[in-house]
Amino acid sequence: MYRKKGIIYGLGITVLVIILFIFLPNIYNNKSFLFNLMLYMTLAEGLNIIYGFTGYLPFGYVGFFGAGAYSAALAILFLHLPPLVAVLVGGLGAFLIGIIFIPLLKLSGAYFAIANLAASQALYYIVANPNLEKITQGPYGISLANSYNPQVSYYVMLSILAFSMITVIFIKFSDYGLALLSIKEDRVSASLAGINVPRERSIAWGLSSFIAGLSGGVYAWYIAVFYPTTVFSLEISVFVIVFVLFGGIGTLVGPLIGSLVLYSFYNFIGISAPQYFQLSYGLLIIIFALFIPNGVLSIFEKRGIHVP
Amino acid sequence: MRKFSALIVFLFLFVVGFSGIAMSKEAPKYIKVGTLYASSGPFAKPSTAEFKGLNFWVHYVNSKGGVYVKAFHKRIPVKLVAYDDQSSTATATTLYNQLITQDHVDMLVADFGSVLTSVAVPLAKVHKILLFDVTGTGSKFFTPDNPYIVLCSLPTSGRWPYTLADFIISEKINRIAIVYSSNDFDQSQAVTLHNKLKKAGVDIVYYHAVPSNTSNYSIILHNIKAKNPNAVIEFGYPNNDIAFLQNLESSGLKFNMVFTVFPGQLFKLLKANVGVKALSYGYTYPTPPLLRYNKVNLGMGIDKFEKEFKKYSGKTPNFLNIAGYNAGLIMQKTLETSKKFDQLAFRKAINEFSGKAFTLDGLFKVNKEGAQIGEMLPVAQFVPQGQGLKMNIVYPPSMKTAKAVYPAP
Repeated sequence: MYRKKGIIYGLGITVLVIILFIFLPNIYNNKSFLFNLMLYMTLAEGLNIIYGFTGYLPFGYVGFFGAGAYSAALAILFLHLPPLVAVLVGGLGAFLIGIIFIPLLKLSGAYFAIANLAASQALYYIVANPNLEKITQGPYGISLANSYNPQVSYYVMLSILAFSMITVIFIKFSDYGLALLSIKEDRVSASLAGINVPRERSIAWGLSSFIAGLSGGVYAWYIAVFYPTTVFSLEISVFVIVFVLFGGIGTLVGPLIGSLVLYSFYNFIGISAPQYFQLSYGLLIIIFALFIPNGVLSIFEKRGIHVP
Repeated sequence: MRKFSALIVFLFLFVVGFSGIAMSKEAPKYIKVGTLYASSGPFAKPSTAEFKGLNFWVHYVNSKGGVYVKAFHKRIPVKLVAYDDQSSTATATTLYNQLITQDHVDMLVADFGSVLTSVAVPLAKVHKILLFDVTGTGSKFFTPDNPYIVLCSLPTSGRWPYTLADFIISEKINRIAIVYSSNDFDQSQAVTLHNKLKKAGVDIVYYHAVPSNTSNYSIILHNIKAKNPNAVIEFGYPNNDIAFLQNLESSGLKFNMVFTVFPGQLFKLLKANVGVKALSYGYTYPTPPLLRYNKVNLGMGIDKFEKEFKKYSGKTPNFLNIAGYNAGLIMQKTLETSKKFDQLAFRKAINEFSGKAFTLDGLFKVNKEGAQIGEMLPVAQFVPQGQGLKMNIVYPPSMKTAKAVYPAP
């Protein structure tokens, strides 16, 4: 009964988010802001799958994002695929990288976080290697000016956001989600209870990397001209982790709220008072970390209100 | 019938009159110029310097009652709308869009360099707003199907080493080593120089890229020395040039000719970081204020600019301050000459004064794609003079102030 209710609420929220982002450009036509907001929401949901449900915190999550951006861009440039298909190739490219990085899951805690960060940096250096100029165009950037279509890519981003939300709903309200949560609590106990820990966490890892790759692919299409530093920037990882932590991990709504509040505030200060940007944003993060360390949704949970 | 004809004439006059009213745009209270700057991150220093130069232009034209706008036959004050992108391209995308779609700026100016300009190029194209590109010299930005970009200062980076190549060929210097940072800006220079020298039969004994964040060139320098070159050319960003020259000085290695890019642009910074000895007999591309353009037909000459800028900011200007101011001058000339107040008319006006406007930054001339081709970067050499350094222009012959000291003592 709880699951059924949760799925209905979750799907309802997904529909609401879709409607909102379809109509928002009519009210506020800075589409880049709306696009980036959707992007961070999607990445936050993607990170939530691996961090929120299994406890693995990938500091190098941006590696999948960058791999997706480059896979999609190269699919457009070399295979002449339509951008929509290239975005899918972006997802698959990141998924492949995810499979290669599966051995990292044998580590845990800070060791996993650091190893993952190093792996994403290694990816960056491979892509930006001048000797690979003929393949990745090295550090000199990629131009997809001929495929540039901000209108269509906006709605593709929205579809990917919806996909990531539905994936999280499925995980949260399924036996699979319970298996992941048990891995998060205690891997050894979960294994003794009959859960195939390596398989389950690898699936979550793959899904998480696939979502980041799709996001990277559509981002590459949306901005059209980019450099390795643009799509492998550690700032993206940091933002996404902060957004998820702020909203509340292991939930559907938490990453959405985290991204909405913090990214909107980030832009609001950036536009209204750029001279106080670092000061005010830093203060806000410190205040939240001190007073709501478990995320915004914990306030509701404490009052017995269950938020999907 | 007569009534009908009168009605037709009346309707015709009404439509023509009405459309005339609809077409004549009212003059705005101020010209909104939108731009971004980075107060933090890797581009903070050059970006804020460039922004200061643009701010100075706004301050200066407003002190004269604004900029003359030909489309409205009057002077209109300039209002600068600026946001901080913190050197982040993701933030820059949102903020450029904010300037275009929310603030509805009349003129859009890009942030410093190719990386922060890159995200503005497709946005400007899709929103049909002319992008005044200050120093984003990446060759990918300039395409025949995009009339919405104009590079104000500096030629596209691939053109920078033209005179350097000619100098090396004319001095009959053989055995060249080229080391460059792996980014768009430096790679395009390295490729141009490599191709030009190869074509002239010059032997290139070392040609390697290093990551842009390279901070130690010691091993690279010894590898270069092993090839026994007569000239070492290092293309990099300021941090690369500083590391390269510091390492060269501490290594005790000597070469007949050493060329780096930024001593000519950010002389004070380089001198403070590497010292007079490391720069002695070194070669560079000199830019204003080292190049003194006083005979100008647009804006102030370098002497007056230095005086006014010092009064405004309390500091002596560097090249990036000049680049920011120069972008302001190009906008000013655009508004002064454009018959209509719309973006394609602006571009048309620029095409008309291209090749005729001479500013403190040199000749402003753009090609069909909007890339800068007027400014030419000569080759200069620093020679010791007392406790300091004197800069001599050694090439081209038309600008030459002294003969190159080659080989370096």
